[in-house]
Order: sequence, then structure tokens, then C-alpha cells
Amino acid sequence: MIAYRDGNAGAFETLYARHRARLFRFVLRSVKERGMAEELFQDVWMRVIEARDRYAPKARFTTWLYSIAHNRLIDHWRRKGLSVVDLENVDVEGNSPNPERQAEARQSVQRFAKALEALPPVQREAFLLHEEAGMSVAEIAQATGAGEEAAKSRLRYAIAKLKAAVDDG
Amino acid sequence: MADERDPKVTQRYRELGTDEPPRHVDEAILAASRRAVHVHPAPLVPPTGRRRWYFPVAAAAIIMLSVAVTWHMQVEGPDPNGYIASAPAPVEQRAAQPMEESKQKLERQAPFAASPSPAPQAAPQAAPPAAASRMEERARESAPVAGARAPEAARADRALGKVGEQATEPPEKWLERIAALRKEGKHEEADKALEEFRKRYPDYKVPESALRLPR
Repeated sequence: MIAYRDGNAGAFETLYARHRARLFRFVLRSVKERGMAEELFQDVWMRVIEARDRYAPKARFTTWLYSIAHNRLIDHWRRKGLSVVDLENVDVEGNSPNPERQAEARQSVQRFAKALEALPPVQREAFLLHEEAGMSVAEIAQATGAGEEAAKSRLRYAIAKLKAAVDDG
Repeated sequence: MADERDPKVTQRYRELGTDEPPRHVDEAILAASRRAVHVHPAPLVPPTGRRRWYFPVAAAAIIMLSVAVTWHMQVEGPDPNGYIASAPAPVEQRAAQPMEESKQKLERQAPFAASPSPAPQAAPQAAPPAAASRMEERARESAPVAGARAPEAARADRALGKVGEQATEPPEKWLERIAALRKEGKHEEADKALEEFRKRYPDYKVPESALRLPR
């Protein structure tokens, strides 16, 4: 980011390639519509570009990037009301040629998707930051502006609920 | 923190799919990033090589322009008679001329405008008609500038962070202003101000008092 701030356009492409897919999934699984996710995703990167002159490496770039995404999502929820991700139509790419097993796999993934959808937004966000951005509790706390204890308990509750959904399957 | 991760949960989460942003979004973002880098301020160090002639030519153009503007101002400068005539007439004299009230209003807005009302002792002759009309024109042009904006508009500008102070204003002050707008129930103005704030400080943690969270 520092290289990009200093005028190296190629540095941004490297950063973008590194973070695009994970950030996109983070946004996509935090909002309801794909179109909206694309819009928010693009907006987050535009803010990164706009803020490049003021970028100061106080933390990892990942933490900075996801805190911008968090703020953008907060704004989105504030305007639209809290919404949850629609994972009804998750496609499961089954490796098994057995149709019965494929159906089972589809069911268990959909059960998991529903459990993820049912999580309170703050817990879901903590989980997504952990899984997609690979953040530690301290980094989740920093990115979301929460205390470390709060971030830790959000993540624990989220994982416990999702684990229950997995075990049920 | 790796111990928080549950392998089964992670595995199942990965099965949800590996969605990626569409190509057109990628292209739009990368194009914006390149545009932003190419729009940079003029270099402080003079360029070398083929563009060496830019600076002398630019400097010569600026000097020529300055000389021309100065000369033009001297030639077109306010007529001394006109200027003297614009000196405010004594109060008693103005009181004696209620019919001239509307013209005097124009004078007050534009102190350099020629006054058609006679000002004895100070100006025995009015400005020549051509010069007077030119000055009246100038006065009319300068009147909107001289006139102060409505205080409501100025206040709204401040609230929206439009004024120049926003560039140097610390984020805490800015957020206090937004929170004050929320308290007053001016959510629309607060939203606009917050939008501006987010652009300037995209990663700043905004307190709930400045947000209008969904109920």
C-alpha cells in the first residue's frame, strides 16, 4: 500500500489480486443480494484508493482494509436495516458420483448455510473475518472497533453454533 | 488464535463455494486505481530533457500576464472624480433626499460606484457618463459578492462539512457536529456529513451517537 501511495500503480494490482476473492466473499456473505455485494465491494476499494494519501501503516493492511469494509457494511445496514445473507441457493459441487450422497452433502451444506445466516450479524462478521481474512481475535477487535473480550466471545459463540450445525449433519 | 478454529466448521464453510468478484468489477477497480495514480501534482523538481523549456516559457507567460494586468488596472483605474463622488454624503444631506434612497442603497453595496447625487465641496462634478456607467456595472457585478449569504445556508454548509475548515478539522470535532445534527433530528444532513466523513476517514470508528443504527 505504501508503494501504491507513493505512485506505484502495479503495487495496487498485487494487493488487489491478494485480497479480492476473500474480501468479496466477506461482503457477499454479509449482505443479502449479490448485486449489492458487488456494489459494496467496489465501493470499499474505491475508498482504499481515495484514502491512499492518508494511509499510515499502523496495523496490517488486511486489518485496515477490513475495517473499511466493516464501516461500509455498517453504513449499508444503517440505511437498509439489518439483512442476512441468502444462502438458500448454494450449489454444492459434489465429488461423489452417488446421487444419494450428493443429496446428503447438499443438505448438510445448506444446513450449515442456514446456521451461518441465522447468526447475529456481529458473530457472523467475527466468523467471516476469522475465516476469510485469517484474522486473530485482536485483529478482529481492531477492525470492528470492539473490545478484545467482545470479539473473542463473538467468535466463540459463532463457532459453537456452526459446529452444532455441522454435528447435526 | 488458531486454536479457535474448528477444522470441521472450516471445512464445511469452504464447501459453501469460492465466489469471486465478476471481471467487470475487477476492471473498474483497477482502472480507478491507475487513474488515481496518474492524477498527481506537478513535480517539485524541474524536469530534464525534452521538457526543459516548459519552465522558462511558463515563467515568461506569468510575467507577461502580470505586467498586462497591472497596466490594464492602471489604465482602467477608478476615475478620481468618480471616487470622490462616491464618498458618503453627510447624513443631513441624505436625509434631505428621500427620493434618492434606492440609488443610495446601491452605493452602500458598492462603495466604488459613482453617485449621481451631488456632493458639494467634495465633488463639484459628477463622473463622466461613460466612466460612471462602467463603474455602476462593476458595482452591480460586485454586489452579490458583497452581499452576505443567508446564515441558514452557511450553517448548512458547516454542518455538511463543505467549508474549508473540514480539511483541517480533527475527526472528533467533525463527529461531534454529526452527533449534534442527529440530536436535532436532522438525519438527512447528518447522513450527508457522515458520507463526507467516511470518504476522508474510511477506517475511523464512528461512535453510535453519530450513526443512526437500525432499530
